[in-house]
Amino acid sequence: MAVKAVETHELTRRYGYRVALRKVSLSFTTQGIHGLFGSNGAGKTTLMRVISTLLRPHGGTISVMGFDPQEEAEEVKKRIGIVGDKVLLYEELTGFENLRFYSKLYGLDQQFFESQVEELTDRFAIKTWLQEPVKNLSTGLKKRFDIVRSLTHNPELLLLDEPFSGLDKDTTDVFWEYLNEYRNLRTTIVTTHNLEYGAALCDEYVTLRKGVVVSQGPISEFDQTL
Amino acid sequence: MTSGLSAALAIAKKDIVTQFRKKFEIFSMFLFALIAVIAFSFAVVSGGSVPAEVGSALLWVIIFFTGMFGFAPIFLSESETGTLRGLATAPIPAWSVYLGKVFYGFVLMGIVEVFLVPIISVLFGFSILNDPLLAFGTIAVGTLDLAAVGSMASALSMPSESKSTVFPLVYFPTATSGLMLLIELTKIVVLGSGAVVIGAGLTVLLIFDILLAHLIAMLTLSASVFHFALSP
Repeated sequence: MAVKAVETHELTRRYGYRVALRKVSLSFTTQGIHGLFGSNGAGKTTLMRVISTLLRPHGGTISVMGFDPQEEAEEVKKRIGIVGDKVLLYEELTGFENLRFYSKLYGLDQQFFESQVEELTDRFAIKTWLQEPVKNLSTGLKKRFDIVRSLTHNPELLLLDEPFSGLDKDTTDVFWEYLNEYRNLRTTIVTTHNLEYGAALCDEYVTLRKGVVVSQGPISEFDQTL
Repeated sequence: MTSGLSAALAIAKKDIVTQFRKKFEIFSMFLFALIAVIAFSFAVVSGGSVPAEVGSALLWVIIFFTGMFGFAPIFLSESETGTLRGLATAPIPAWSVYLGKVFYGFVLMGIVEVFLVPIISVLFGFSILNDPLLAFGTIAVGTLDLAAVGSMASALSMPSESKSTVFPLVYFPTATSGLMLLIELTKIVVLGSGAVVIGAGLTVLLIFDILLAHLIAMLTLSASVFHFALSP
């Protein structure tokens, strides 16, 4: 049986007494772009955090690329790349220093790191900003560097939590094109409450409402009016 | 995948570079230390010196409180900017994040001590050079111990809404036992061989061993539960 990118069975996560995910069972196949839709507070970000090992589930099971995020966290972590609402860069360091720091944490070979930085910074048009401290960069440029950071180790699974919020049109277009190009080469999970973007980008979808899965399937069956 | 130790060193190096560029914590530490030393030197120095017992205690009390300015933001700043999530999702063991922060805290405090200890020696009129090896060992192990406690206290105060209250609540009681030992050892160093009584060598060894045990226990305990701080 083929390994699923993400598979959960009755996954539950609470914050105190509030249940953020209630017995969520879903699966995402490897490759393609999968949408995780829902309004604010639906549980999208919580699910992304459980997938990325940042939160422990309080019930049920989850496997990510065939690994248990709690018991085999390092195996999961080296296979995922994350872009979230916050930019995970150090303001005092330059863009290049940030990328090099993360490359050390991921144990990247120097030659591989240099070729990845060369290709990705060229692709996202930030090469000329590499030696500039991040604190001097605009919000859009910071986001571009953050996207490059998440891609430098060439993750098998890309987790994007509201990736287009705060992005200018140019960056959105570049990122959109990149995601389309890699559609069949890696698995991408995108959370968004912008259903128009989601429907246009994704191959499959899952809709959450108040921590419960209300619909899932191929994007051709997605009904935006629900 | 990188080893835990090299990840810890990369995190420490990143923090040191960051600190030297923004200089905020180190400036606060120097400022507090200097004001405390001057205030104490006016208050307790008479005839050009203070009693060894008082001087040894003051030295470590100043280092202890100076450490608060450096240790408290160790994890809080990463938590506030969100960069802690980058460390938490990197394929490195959780203990390496903690160890990296301890290394950073040690270097940060060490830089302050390089200036602070000679100034205190001069103003308080006592010498720690009577036994340089023991003095160096005591300051190095003591600073590492405070950095280990301070880093864990900073991590524990992250989820709290009143971070500035929680940090001292954890830091003070946990560091106090080590602080007592450091004061005793420093007193022995300052009093020098002239004040050594029979069995003093054994006493030094015993106190130093307890201090080392405190450090090792603190590091081991904190490192082994640190994954709970990164993924609650």
